Amino acid sequence: MSQGHETKKNPDGSCDVSWDDYLKSYYEKPQSAKTWSGYDVQELYTPDDLVKNDYKKNVGDAGDYPFTRGLHRNMFRGRYWTRREVVGIGSPADTHERAAFCFEQGGSGLNTIADVTYEMGLDVDHPWAENEVGLTGVNITSVKDMETLVGDIPLDKVSWSLITASTAAAATMAQYVVVAQQKNYDISLLRGSIQNDPIHFRYCGFRPACPLDLSVKLGSDVMEYCTRHMPKFYYTTVNMYDLREQGINAHQEVAYGFGIAMCYIDELLRRGLHIDDFAPRFTFYVSCHVDFFEEIAKIRAARRMWAKLMKEKYGAKDPRSMQFRFAVHTAGCSLVPQQPLNNIVRIAYEALAAVLGGVQSLHCCSYDEPMCLPTEKGHLQALRTQQILAYETGVTNVADPLGGSYYIESLTDKIEEEALRCMKEVEELGGMEEAIRTEWLDRKFEIEAVKRQKEVDNRDKLIVGVNIFDSEPETKTPLGVQRIAEQSAKRQISEVQALKRSRDMTTLREAIDRLRDVASRGKNTIPAMIEATKAFATTAELLGTVREVMGYPYDPMQVIESPFK
Amino acid sequence: MNQNKIKVIVSKVGLDGHDRGVKVVATLLKEAGMEVVYLGMYQTPEGVIKAAVDEDADVIGLSYLSGEHLVYTPKIVDEMRKSGLDDVLLVVGGSFPPEDVPVMKEMGVDEVFRGGSLTESIVDYIKKNTRGKS
Repeated sequence: MSQGHETKKNPDGSCDVSWDDYLKSYYEKPQSAKTWSGYDVQELYTPDDLVKNDYKKNVGDAGDYPFTRGLHRNMFRGRYWTRREVVGIGSPADTHERAAFCFEQGGSGLNTIADVTYEMGLDVDHPWAENEVGLTGVNITSVKDMETLVGDIPLDKVSWSLITASTAAAATMAQYVVVAQQKNYDISLLRGSIQNDPIHFRYCGFRPACPLDLSVKLGSDVMEYCTRHMPKFYYTTVNMYDLREQGINAHQEVAYGFGIAMCYIDELLRRGLHIDDFAPRFTFYVSCHVDFFEEIAKIRAARRMWAKLMKEKYGAKDPRSMQFRFAVHTAGCSLVPQQPLNNIVRIAYEALAAVLGGVQSLHCCSYDEPMCLPTEKGHLQALRTQQILAYETGVTNVADPLGGSYYIESLTDKIEEEALRCMKEVEELGGMEEAIRTEWLDRKFEIEAVKRQKEVDNRDKLIVGVNIFDSEPETKTPLGVQRIAEQSAKRQISEVQALKRSRDMTTLREAIDRLRDVASRGKNTIPAMIEATKAFATTAELLGTVREVMGYPYDPMQVIESPFK
Repeated sequence: MNQNKIKVIVSKVGLDGHDRGVKVVATLLKEAGMEVVYLGMYQTPEGVIKAAVDEDADVIGLSYLSGEHLVYTPKIVDEMRKSGLDDVLLVVGGSFPPEDVPVMKEMGVDEVFRGGSLTESIVDYIKKNTRGKS
């Protein structure tokens, strides 16, 4: 399998190199001229390839509709992208500590991520949660946990991205607002974002927590609440990244991501909001995979498509509604545990693509992602990758530096064309909700994932260390392994149990009754969740109460019953 | 049902939701001629072993991607012992540090395939180690 040159070691320590192999590699040429997503590309692009391209109408300057070249005319001269590393580890206190570390090292935005137990909507003392609390992020069971996580962070100054994607985002929102109010912040001034894309999260293993109607309901409740009360807050990050990680290609990422975004938009319009009331606060999470030009073209295509979609389909008038705002997460699925230091290089290329694509906020994976949660050294290395890019390379000088490239413009057109075709396919199925309900999208993901593996098995796609230039497997992770201290979870569990024993049950029960009532009448649940959170209702209690109203079991894992019957 | 076919149970235990890999492996083992039962997510160690007994499986394949491998592996091995599944191959795949591979083998896992493993290596290993079947 290895393409390295065969050498024979002599007893005296010298080596006989196979010079035939050497010669072969000298004359070797790439075996494929397709992009990662499988598009055939020409050997050379010329002005002829741009004949049909009307610059003003289709491309435009950065800062002008349709925003192909970027959202702002001065791009990074106005402000660097936000250097934001995802942090979520052990207890709320552990997570706060690591986030503070990233800040000390020059990170410019906070990004905290929920663990599997929280995303599933379980309290830490749930029998299914006990084994896994804190292994992949942080669980916020009660407002006390949120207080610990916030600590001394100035909420009106720091841009904080709360990564709770599932229906639990509604609980996160309530917990966040309560802590902010306790600290006397005017919530209308709070900046930051919440991921809040429960529809997509069914594809990430959280189907029990994210039935489709409940996802649309609670996701839109958060969006509507923020539109009315927190105008500076970005209330959803539609997660195209997680879709891409399922194995799909670049244009499918855009098409299916937009399909999901439209589910929320349609619901908000049904609730009587106007597109320009809320669209300026829509954001996206985009993947940057390892095919450099393809990812840049994908981002440019997405920007143009979103602008047209908002203007032409939804009748937006405010240019801010037409701006595709996005964060990039470099592609976790492009990283491998074989020869793990190579991941640093992959991440750097992916981050460069994100920046040349005009990213607003960037998370670089840490090189140890295929092995464990990031170690402190891994986190620091990822942050430094961003800083080298920002401060050393000069890529911040000029907006959309690849704009006008015959190849990039052609590839941008190609991806737009393919993505539009995909969106039409979904439309013909009856729309994205239908594609989800009938599990059409599940099948699509499964087919594509198998295809991707076969490409690697057949060496149609080459991965250094995996199917080319492989070497003896490593026995050690170069910068050490991140372990989660068991006592962190145990302490959090016993604190939650103590809190549950000490609550004023009458006040709590009344608050839960009001939440149930509001949900039954189809009203926005967030204000009632906020009030219940003040009475120390927990995540599982907030969500379970709404779940029951919607006809679902109180507990997604169907183990425990509502304590409020 | 072909008595001579290798029968594999694949599953995930606990809450870990990363199921792309396990579903791909299930499909590719089927294509390699094995009989494969994917139990889905959110299984318990007891549930996986019960299924392995009921299905008379030759191989149990587990996928871990959320750092839960050292929590659940001893429980699985313990349940296998209790049910007398000493001749059933226990194979694990997913994301974990190389340091944990010998640890899991010590616990009783027969073979470990980390991310980036090629399908052929998994198929070859299973075929060589489930004697008398193909």
